[in-house]
Amino acid sequence: MPEETLTDQEAYFLERVDRGDRIEADDWMPEDYRQQLVRLIAMHAVSEIMGALPEKEWVPRAPTLYRKLAITAKVQDEVGHGQLLIRVAEDLMRPWGKNREDVMDDLFTGRLKYHNVFHMATPTWADAGVIGWLVDGAAVITQGMSLSCSYAPYARALQRIVEEEGFHIQHGESICMALAEGTPMQRAMLQDALNRWWPALLMFFGPPEKSQLSTHQLRNIRYRIRSKTNEELRQRFFSKYVHRIWSLGLTIPDPTLQQDPFTKEWTYQQPDWDEFRRIVSNHGPRSEARLGLRSTTYQEGEWVRRTIALSPAVG
Amino acid sequence: MEERLDFAVYEVFAQADALSPHVHVFNVLASSPDMAMALAEENFFRRAEFVSLWVVRRDQIHHIGHHDREGFKKTPKAYRTTEDYKYLRDKWRYYRDHPMNPDGSEAEGVTGDAAMDD
Repeated sequence: MPEETLTDQEAYFLERVDRGDRIEADDWMPEDYRQQLVRLIAMHAVSEIMGALPEKEWVPRAPTLYRKLAITAKVQDEVGHGQLLIRVAEDLMRPWGKNREDVMDDLFTGRLKYHNVFHMATPTWADAGVIGWLVDGAAVITQGMSLSCSYAPYARALQRIVEEEGFHIQHGESICMALAEGTPMQRAMLQDALNRWWPALLMFFGPPEKSQLSTHQLRNIRYRIRSKTNEELRQRFFSKYVHRIWSLGLTIPDPTLQQDPFTKEWTYQQPDWDEFRRIVSNHGPRSEARLGLRSTTYQEGEWVRRTIALSPAVG
Repeated sequence: MEERLDFAVYEVFAQADALSPHVHVFNVLASSPDMAMALAEENFFRRAEFVSLWVVRRDQIHHIGHHDREGFKKTPKAYRTTEDYKYLRDKWRYYRDHPMNPDGSEAEGVTGDAAMDD
């Protein structure tokens, strides 16, 4: 963004952002800002919607009635977050004549990606626990940063979302702790799940920035859409969770993982970033099955949406 | 272009208890007020309570924003508030210890003007 060639409108917009003003949907904004926001928020929205599916697989198989109620509530929350976010995205897409149908189409055709973690399999109950504890834990680190986003409607949606994520994380902690305190078989199940999820958890924050930030990142930082890099967020994740994981007697599947006692910087084994790109382009272990399920359900619900839309408004 | 379904955005307002005002919560996309209320309950009140919930079609809301009031902060407003009357407390304390005479004259020879200028 060459700032010397800005129009008055653009300069005023950036001045507002610099001042810490929050931007509303109807305020003038650079087209580029709108595009960056839609890219981010639509991706977040479909990730919440797709994120309900891995855990939904455990609703019928939850070990107790209490766990079944709690995981059902959590799955419902995730879909609710998708609803909030897709509204925020829709208001931004209005000038383009687009709406949520376009978001869903983009999801089904692969133009819109969703988070790598929701492409993974959840073969055991421990996976449901690890998703709540560590995947949602990772998500809250990212979303906590985004609470300061310059776009007010997104920040407001995130306030609601982060509040509920607090429950999700403790729900996951409770499942993992119960397994850690359980039989050798239960402990082994938890360790297996952690081994499966560890690379995916590191991938969640995106590739580390080498010496230079990407154009997208620079723009998002300039626009105060985000304030931290992928690597800064991943480092926070390590600082918050590594000791807790160890405290349950679990082994993190990375013998090189260590924290520099002076700089506090964590060094770690990089996950396979080519594998990451394969996963998010819908070639992960469960990508096809979950997109298939989402797409079929969407098509089967078409008549419901149509009927509701055509029924006369009451009141 | 394909046919688009006719949904509208409804803004949601909720009142937490009888003495609280209705506060804006968020918004939903719905085909009718009934559906908007059902969605609002599902989306925003899975845990929290409310005593009253409003849904209002967004296109029925009239709005002015702070940009329309650029001049507002340019004039002082203290005369509309209790801000300019803080001296009263000290004066009341003074008159408690030094009551005026029935004819309004000062008991101990302090002039009214001097006291007012404090």
